[in-house]
Amino acid sequence: MSETPLLELRGVDKSFGPVQVLRDVDFAVYPGEVTALVGDNGAGKSTLVKCISGIYGTDAGEFFFEGRPVTINGPRDAAGLGIDVVYQDLALCDNLDIVQNMFLGRERRSGLVLDEPTMEELAARTLAELSVRTIGSLRQHVSSLSGGQRQTVAIAKAVLWNSRLVILDEPMAALGVAQTAQVLELVRRLADNGLAVVLISHNMNDVFAVSDRIATLYLGQMVAQVRTTDVTHAQVVELITSGRSDSLGANGRNDGGRRRNGTVGGLE
Amino acid sequence: MRTGPSQEEIRRQNLGALLRHVHLRGAMSRAELTTALGLNRSTIGALTADLASAGLVSEAIPKQRGRGAGRPSLVVRPESARVHAWAFSIEVDRLQAARIGLGGVVLDRRELGRPRGLVAAETAPLLAGALKEMRRAVPPGTIGVGAGIAVCGMVRREDGLVRLSPHAGWVNEPIGATLATELGADTPVVVANVADVCAFAEHARGAAAGCDNVIYLYGDVGVGAGIIAGGRRLTGHGGYGGEVGHMVVNRHGSPCECGSRGCWETEIGEYALLKAADRPEAFGREAVLAVFDAADRGDARAQTAVRQVGDWLGFGVGNLVNLFNPEMVIFGGTMRDLYLAAAAQVRSRLNSVALSACLEHVRLRTPQLGNDAALIGAAELAFERLLADPLDAS
Repeated sequence: MSETPLLELRGVDKSFGPVQVLRDVDFAVYPGEVTALVGDNGAGKSTLVKCISGIYGTDAGEFFFEGRPVTINGPRDAAGLGIDVVYQDLALCDNLDIVQNMFLGRERRSGLVLDEPTMEELAARTLAELSVRTIGSLRQHVSSLSGGQRQTVAIAKAVLWNSRLVILDEPMAALGVAQTAQVLELVRRLADNGLAVVLISHNMNDVFAVSDRIATLYLGQMVAQVRTTDVTHAQVVELITSGRSDSLGANGRNDGGRRRNGTVGGLE
Repeated sequence: MRTGPSQEEIRRQNLGALLRHVHLRGAMSRAELTTALGLNRSTIGALTADLASAGLVSEAIPKQRGRGAGRPSLVVRPESARVHAWAFSIEVDRLQAARIGLGGVVLDRRELGRPRGLVAAETAPLLAGALKEMRRAVPPGTIGVGAGIAVCGMVRREDGLVRLSPHAGWVNEPIGATLATELGADTPVVVANVADVCAFAEHARGAAAGCDNVIYLYGDVGVGAGIIAGGRRLTGHGGYGGEVGHMVVNRHGSPCECGSRGCWETEIGEYALLKAADRPEAFGREAVLAVFDAADRGDARAQTAVRQVGDWLGFGVGNLVNLFNPEMVIFGGTMRDLYLAAAAQVRSRLNSVALSACLEHVRLRTPQLGNDAALIGAAELAFERLLADPLDAS
């Protein structure tokens, strides 16, 4: 695992009028790892993601990409760095097929016409790299796909466009057991292929199944960023609900997950 | 006095290395092979020519021209359609047979349901029937390198005798020999335990490619592990190693089919989950998946069962992590579904029982080859002989 974060945020503040939503937030994501972003409703997860993807500006704070300071002033800057967000609604067009969706707005041409064979081959290769076996024809309309398959297409689209950081907002919401399992495996494979992945989820099971690190927001503050091997389910739930975990050490602050707390483990 | 390896030995070694490389990694150019194998261009050229004349690989000019100047490097690809192995997998609930081409391509496959308790004498004809059917479709001029069989049971390494398959009720069944007579006397047959075979497949071309210390946990009714330590399969003296399902974890536990009490599989196996979910009459993979589904929909009894069994899974994995310090643990068979459904319990328990030094680099994964791992691994076993000595074996 790499020691330099792909993206690092330091001291991010964000207010909407009198309401301070993010307070001095530090956050780091590493290539090849899944960082789970957890927190109760209203803790600031979505706001943080929107700051990263350039939809919201920040009031204070610094951004570093591969150690270099960068500024993100809009979605275009974020996309330029290779940051892609897959939202819950997925933003796919039901009346287009899988290949058309994956290349939407960025179609390949050969001369005057679209280069369909190349696009189909690239789409197929991307899905194969992710070991996706659940999709039959690439030419079926997205409307005919199940929830899990749609999620797969939306994620594969991000991979096709060489994203380096993919942020997934509740990708398993509203999926059944079998499809959740497939999407979890896909999330894991993204990171195993070298991408940095941020997974927002309320389901502790999904978080523990695939994450390497868990970042917990509590009332707009980052109360802990720990390695998944260092915590138990009960401790993470405690962090989410009270912002602290006694068994994790002083106020749970854990230096971006780099320092290992001696007291963790054996407690439930 | 020991002299160095002969020219012939070096050549055989290099042929094997080259063939193994394209077999595992797929088609690649001579230039890439030169870099990957550390041999010079003319050696690679001579080796591919030998392999091509034996019909094991083919060479072609790449479709897309590279950007560099000069003649493009020829692409060497395995002759997947011409060179094949037969693969069989005898699982608790199903039988599978397949013809798998060099490069790990499934060319043809059959799947049969298996009534529980079917003995080897009745199993072999079923597999032989599937084999006959597939044989008819084999085009002329192909090279068969042998057969591999994955069995859920303990397999004696020297002759492939299935010593004990408690859930199938087999004791001392020569399934390998029975199928060999169907295949023809000159076809080499290798038999191995299904967990070992899956571990081998994932290590060769799946989730654990490039990892040298791997534990593949395979679960159905029972639980077994395929262990790879230091890049080698760890199967023990007679080939029976890796029976982690029979680690005794609970002195006051339930009796196990092996005759002991409180074995790990009595806490995490199919029966344990179904019993905890209050469905003692149900059995089979579908019934297990139904419990996970019920838990997801909010059935409190099923949720408790999944948590309890997940906790026990974490216990055993913690012990295995302490014993073998693997860099990856793969959850296969029904263990995949259990892990994904109860990861919070599994990891919480694992994190609290495993030593932090053993735990820090372990990655928990599900199989990349999915349910094909057993077949692909069985074929890999059959291909081993070819890869060790490509020109002699073919």
